[in-house]
Amino acid sequence: MTSSLESAAAILDRPGTWRGVRQMLPLAAFTVAFGLAFGVAAAQKGLHGWEAMLMSALMFSGPSQFAVLELWAFPLPLLALALTTMAIHTRHLLMSAALHPWLHSLPKRQQFAAVFFLTDSSWAMALGEYQRGERNVGLLLGGGIALWLAWVVGSGIGLMFGGRLAEPERYGLDVIMLCFLLVIVVGGVPRRDMLLPWGAAALSALLAYYWLPPYLHVVVGALVGGGVAVLWPAASARRAAS
Amino acid sequence: MMGAFASASGVASLVAIIMMIMIALVSRIGGLLIMSRVPIGPKVRRFVDAMATSVLIAVITPMIVDGDGGARVAALVAGAVAIWLRSPLVAIALGMISAALWRFVMATGGG
Repeated sequence: MTSSLESAAAILDRPGTWRGVRQMLPLAAFTVAFGLAFGVAAAQKGLHGWEAMLMSALMFSGPSQFAVLELWAFPLPLLALALTTMAIHTRHLLMSAALHPWLHSLPKRQQFAAVFFLTDSSWAMALGEYQRGERNVGLLLGGGIALWLAWVVGSGIGLMFGGRLAEPERYGLDVIMLCFLLVIVVGGVPRRDMLLPWGAAALSALLAYYWLPPYLHVVVGALVGGGVAVLWPAASARRAAS
Repeated sequence: MMGAFASASGVASLVAIIMMIMIALVSRIGGLLIMSRVPIGPKVRRFVDAMATSVLIAVITPMIVDGDGGARVAALVAGAVAIWLRSPLVAIALGMISAALWRFVMATGGG
């Protein structure tokens, strides 16, 4: 983020966007499968096809879509759904903030397009290239579009087949959500310094689950996990310094 | 489709989904808007990072504790495979298969 790096002007063009699409194609193949898992899970939860597709097209986020699916029971717990979505998406606030030095000179419309398709992986890829001198925002936009298409198409396929099976638990279809969320948490970079926050989140969530009004456990777990991570940051500070 | 809109639960679903979409949109765009005004320190970053994964932990913990044997076996297998093989898709697939197997064995074993 030095001024010399920022001085080169940002551009957004078609060749750059195609480059972004191609960079994310391998990951897009996986994303189709994840989308499929979401479609199946949403159908099993009884969501209408258009509801699930609306979520995939405009929320465009595996973790939050799977998490709210787990809370999806009538009457809908609107507050818990909102807070859960916020807890997961606040991360995107920081990610798009990190893009500000790169994007701010572009027209507003192009900036919004680039961050609408923001995902963890396309962001990481594009920001890595930016730090190596890349200035074409198409890399970020194209990567996001590739993953978006894969996610939406996968969701659609999953919805077509997911609702047809009777006795989904016989095939283990009811544990897709659990497995997906678990794999997101433990499958990332090994984060040993997160064991304490995660342990605190699990324990407090479980206590809240049994003793507090319904759905509050999600909020309690999120805040306790975040709080513990801030209060005991020693391990991560060492890691960040290296 | 119109029928879904007309029912009370259909309206509630639509309200919930629009609300969640707005939160997702505001989060993605918001960073660009506030960046020039609010400095984001390492503490805030760490809180937000930890919160994003902690909320997932909070969602899945009761699913495991309150779930049947199949759900617990699935969690164990999926978690272990995700850590060792680093392949999320294989982890999820094996988790589902082990849940199905567990339930099949329990059903036949129990007569």
